[in-house]
Amino acid sequence: MSARNTDVSFGWVTRTLHWAMAFGVLAMLGFGSYIARMEVGMSNIWMFGVHKSIGIVLFALLAVRIVWHFVSPVPESLPSGVGWKDRAAVWVHRAFYVLLIVVPLSGWIGSGATGLDVLVFNRVTLPPLAPVSEAWEEAAFAVHFVATKLLALCVVLHIAGAVMRKDGTMARMVRGA
Amino acid sequence: MRIILASLCVWLTAAVCGWAMPLTYALNESESRVGFEVPFGPDQITGTMPVRSADIALDFERPANSRISVVLDVGNAQANFPFATQALRGPRVLDASQFPDISFVSNTIEVRADAPSQALLTGDITIRGVTRPITLDAELFRPAGRALGEREQLFVRLEGAVSRAAFGASGWDDLVGDEVSLNLMLRIDLVE
Repeated sequence: MSARNTDVSFGWVTRTLHWAMAFGVLAMLGFGSYIARMEVGMSNIWMFGVHKSIGIVLFALLAVRIVWHFVSPVPESLPSGVGWKDRAAVWVHRAFYVLLIVVPLSGWIGSGATGLDVLVFNRVTLPPLAPVSEAWEEAAFAVHFVATKLLALCVVLHIAGAVMRKDGTMARMVRGA
Repeated sequence: MRIILASLCVWLTAAVCGWAMPLTYALNESESRVGFEVPFGPDQITGTMPVRSADIALDFERPANSRISVVLDVGNAQANFPFATQALRGPRVLDASQFPDISFVSNTIEVRADAPSQALLTGDITIRGVTRPITLDAELFRPAGRALGEREQLFVRLEGAVSRAAFGASGWDDLVGDEVSLNLMLRIDLVE
């Protein structure tokens, strides 16, 4: 089992990053929707800290993934034989990368703009990325809201595409080849 | 404070003794505290704020001549969880860096006829540089074990409430209520 990707297969590093982020993003989309609707009180205020912490971890994993893909480029997508499907797959992948940057970054900016510390697992305090400002906070969280909805759409399209394809694409990401 | 506080008719007994001049008291900071409470969803955010200074003169013969002014230290306010402390001191609530004090200055003191140890204290409170009138319930106590009429050490309890919005301290108003209950317990010692 190779760590590195080849021209036709995914190594275990890429696959591990993919699945870790996949489960993380799915969980965070649900978790984020839940905490945005709940009545906030003493018993659940900690959930915001967990949400921020996991979001920062996913952001870090994305950075690792991007670096790793420069070190060990991923194989080309398998052609489906249908032009629009291949183009859609390419654009969904591109959108994933953009949104996986925009979502945590907008959350980090919005959290910092509240004037409260952005703490990762109550251990590390991240520097604020914006001045303490309601305008910055509202704008950043508006971006966060829209970007998470687009991310959810991309997740649906990505899963649908992966499940519908019968050409070994899913197997490559599960078993490597 | 483990002292059992018994309400006494201090104002009344003083009037009987006939002291003519207001007595000046010094704040005992270590035994004084300011508590606050504000709704937070189904719960309450509670906390304390140190008293920076107080100027207290009590005229037991003519309570209207008494004066009470208190300055609170916003920068060292503490809430019951860390984010609330940070939010409380931050620019969207009390903005401690710009406005390090909350001050209260009494204007009138009206002793209750039915409870001579209690009074209605009206005055001005300044929060975030905004001054508004406020009415506080005041009550005098002496520490347990002290003789009736003894005034060397007293406790002053002040209770009231303020609207955060009235002072521009309305940050996180979607999560935290507007009315903040205040409860000050000041231990004061007679200045010889």
